[in-house]
Amino acid sequence: MRLLFIIIFLLNLQVSSGQNINRINVIVSPIVKSKDNSSSSNIGSIAVTNLKFYLTKISLTKSQKTVWQEENSYHLIDISNPKSLDFVLNLSKNIYFDAIHFLFGTDSLINISGVMGGDLDPIKGMYWAWNSGYINFKLEGEKNTIPFEFHLGGYTPPFQTVQKIKLKTNSKNNLIIELDIIKFLKQLDLTTQKKIMSPGKEAQQLAIMLSTLFSIRE
Amino acid sequence: MYFPYTPSLVKFEHPKYWPKPVYNFEKNPLTEEGISLGRKLFYDPILSRDSSVSCSSCHLSYTAFTHVDHSLSHGINDSIGTRNSPSLINLAWHSSFMWDGAVNHLDVQALAPITHPEEMGEDLNNVIRKLKTTQGYSNMFYKAFKDSSITGEHLLKAISQFELTLISCNSKYDSVMRKTSTFTLQEENGYQIYQKNCISCHSEPLFTNNQFEKNGLPTDPLLNDFGRYNITKDPTDSLKFKVPTLRNIEFSFPYMHDGRFKNLSQVFKHYTSITSNSILLSSNEKVDLTAFLLTLTDKHFLFNKKHSFPRELFYPTNKE
Repeated sequence: MRLLFIIIFLLNLQVSSGQNINRINVIVSPIVKSKDNSSSSNIGSIAVTNLKFYLTKISLTKSQKTVWQEENSYHLIDISNPKSLDFVLNLSKNIYFDAIHFLFGTDSLINISGVMGGDLDPIKGMYWAWNSGYINFKLEGEKNTIPFEFHLGGYTPPFQTVQKIKLKTNSKNNLIIELDIIKFLKQLDLTTQKKIMSPGKEAQQLAIMLSTLFSIRE
Repeated sequence: MYFPYTPSLVKFEHPKYWPKPVYNFEKNPLTEEGISLGRKLFYDPILSRDSSVSCSSCHLSYTAFTHVDHSLSHGINDSIGTRNSPSLINLAWHSSFMWDGAVNHLDVQALAPITHPEEMGEDLNNVIRKLKTTQGYSNMFYKAFKDSSITGEHLLKAISQFELTLISCNSKYDSVMRKTSTFTLQEENGYQIYQKNCISCHSEPLFTNNQFEKNGLPTDPLLNDFGRYNITKDPTDSLKFKVPTLRNIEFSFPYMHDGRFKNLSQVFKHYTSITSNSILLSSNEKVDLTAFLLTLTDKHFLFNKKHSFPRELFYPTNKE
């Protein structure tokens, strides 16, 4: 009987965890529309007009050991630019992993290193001119006709906004990373908190909230 | 452009006995082409919304890259800002920029005046759009960065390259330090007075310690400018401002972050009358100190043709 359990256990390990992978298609899929559209809901109507944020320093681990790191890993996710929502991770060899890690935002070194190109170019509108540093997350829109504007940034301690994210996942070719913006907006009282444009405690609190709303769509 | 082009590297020269510059040249090595492009951009009002204001409007080469006729800088539409424009001298040794250190790297400093509604009032995307349709710029960008596409990164790095060449190290004071000249008796007395009273903030050889200090200036009630505190929100930073250089002080009036002092006499009056840490200066000592400060004037810097308006880049002759 015990042998049977052991065999079933081992089979499960093999079947549900995945295969060796050398290329991953990543799709970032922020949830910006409320699933509940009924008029009886008391959530109200939410319209997101602008959502941009940085996903950087992507790496893969197996049993907490790093097995792969992306070079020049800086992705600006912008819902108005569909091309930015999917990208490919080319692993140089076959890798088996059980978790994907990344930074939600930009690390402090990037914020003091001056100007960079590509997704980090200030032309992307994610850089503060009058208080040097990146805007890690921008969310704009309306809830029940109340406009909201959340620009979260800041890298100096104790109010750093960058967050480390770890998502457990099976080792597979296609990963869909979700960020539940609707849940985030539902958690806020927009009558008291609808505009953040500078670094500080509030920006950090919201960044921490958002960091809990990432998930892998299975 | 389909043939490969290699820009020519330029060595960053400075006196050997000076401290090491803090700017990371590896990320933006100086080249003839980069400096030339940066210089043209510095003098080009196309960076402003209505093409009326260029960097040189507030940073004029003959007056130590500041301007002398306004206490508070002007921008487009005759708007007035809240601060006096600092002189641009020896920037490779600075790790913070603006009177309150709002900018932490030279390469991103230009973003601030370009996008401020009361300075140049422009959007970076618009600047790039305008440059793309202006004759000559794509070619200059290609030569400087092997890329004709014109990005925000390259625009800002080019401006930095030009600004980094603004080095002042050939004043009379410098020749005295190199023992190729000597102070007059007045200047020597003035040097002693400076060393006794001013050196902790305006330290040699850059004549600034690059820190934020409080010097007893009362707040202007109309401006309510608390300096470094605005950025750090640390109460101990209230009323602290970046120490400016004394180099070329003869030409960088008016003085202080809001240009409230027209001349050195008013500056001395302030320092001799503040309630704490005031300094004592007799009339003779004030004259001697002034004589010393005038030895910080560097005519090589002020009249260097490589720093001034590049006529040949804006109005090329048929040969080019």
